[in-house]
Amino acid sequence: MAKRIEVKDLDIYYDKFLAVQGVSMTIQPRSVTALIGPSGCGKSTFLRTLNRMHELVPNARVEGSVVMDDDDLYGPNVDPVNVRRQIGMVFQRANPFPTMSIYDNVAAGLKLNNKRLKKSDMDDLVERSLKSANLWEEVKDRLHKPGSGLSGGQQQRLCIARAIAVQPEVLLMDEPCSALDPISTQAIEDLMLELKANYTIVIVTHNMQQAARVSDTTGFFNLQGVGKPGELVEIDETTRIFSTPSQKATEDYISGRFG
Amino acid sequence: MRDAYNLELDNLRAQLGDMVQLVAEAMELATRSLLHQDLETAEQVISDDVKVDDARSAAEEKAYGLLALQAPVATDLRIVVASLHAAESIERMGDLALHVAKAARRRHPEPVLPPDVRPAFERLGDVDVRLARKLERVVRGDDAEAAKSLEDDDDEVDEIHRNLFTVIMDRDWQHGVSPAVDLTLLSRFYERYADHAVSVARRMLFVVTGRMPNHSASDV
Repeated sequence: MAKRIEVKDLDIYYDKFLAVQGVSMTIQPRSVTALIGPSGCGKSTFLRTLNRMHELVPNARVEGSVVMDDDDLYGPNVDPVNVRRQIGMVFQRANPFPTMSIYDNVAAGLKLNNKRLKKSDMDDLVERSLKSANLWEEVKDRLHKPGSGLSGGQQQRLCIARAIAVQPEVLLMDEPCSALDPISTQAIEDLMLELKANYTIVIVTHNMQQAARVSDTTGFFNLQGVGKPGELVEIDETTRIFSTPSQKATEDYISGRFG
Repeated sequence: MRDAYNLELDNLRAQLGDMVQLVAEAMELATRSLLHQDLETAEQVISDDVKVDDARSAAEEKAYGLLALQAPVATDLRIVVASLHAAESIERMGDLALHVAKAARRRHPEPVLPPDVRPAFERLGDVDVRLARKLERVVRGDDAEAAKSLEDDDDEVDEIHRNLFTVIMDRDWQHGVSPAVDLTLLSRFYERYADHAVSVARRMLFVVTGRMPNHSASDV
């Protein structure tokens, strides 16, 4: 588990519109990489290209390469579904399957992947995933109640449990705490620090203090102007970005001097 | 954006600048009281020291508020952290000027200094005040270059300080033990004053460059 991702000269297009231009970065395994930047700068778009989720938008395409360890994610014979199995994603709004029980939500990924497991093995895996997501103690007595009955923070941790149940290599998180209160946010942040022992984590966040707290590496995206493509301005160790960034645009953004 | 915040940061620098101005004046007056047995001036320096202490508290309070409420990062964070250190050093400079004034008061109406070492203390006073005036410009952000020339001034102070030792230790010294002790302490006060000024200047360079000041060389 936990693989390195090498992105090289990545351009992202929606049809003819160049949305993100020339991104190169190395995402280290067993670490948290945070992506920050103003709305519309392409950081979420970029995140989605890491597991080809952006292809759900018609006519979206990329140029350049994304390589996970030695596997080219955009190679000719690569099945995007297989990519998404290895690179899981957690979204801004917790999105458990509303009609399914807590148990089935966690098991869903495996069932969809046609893994046939004995009942006892499945029970183990659900328990292990919920424990990894720090949710087990809160739900162990109501595993067969609907997931939609949980609080927002619990639902988000349920989604994380569902994502890690299929044992991905990489976990992508798109503003996972922006709809949560500070206590649930704290729980998710603690969880990220625990999960990075086994996973490569990439998180998009608007909360710069969150990026500073949880990440090892921070990348700053910006766009030159309206209608221009977003680009990666700077990526470096998080302590460096928040103490002595090398680019003025980065400093202006993190210090709140923009516009 | 964040106009109020930027204003607060500017105010913090201005407060430190005012503090340096106070301690520059204090050293100028303290030296005058020392050289001319001027009791009134000595008393003024002694009673004015509380202003420096108050300014330090105010600067610390402001820095604390900025940390608590604005979560400064990068250059802003360096300004706040450097200011906390600087405020303490500047207050110490004020205390050292105070010590000089107290020495003048203690010996009044007798002169503290034997005539043959007066020129050395005139120079110590001149260079220390010059250092502090430069430091004020550095702190106010008007003259980053001055931060570098401060080190040369400090070398000059160290040199005078060392020479005074040679004079006191000489077998021809004829003023006895008590003045020797006074001179040693006084010379040390001037030397420390200059060191603190250099240390504050280094902190201010750190604000600009982001490189931590070199601790091993800062306190000699």
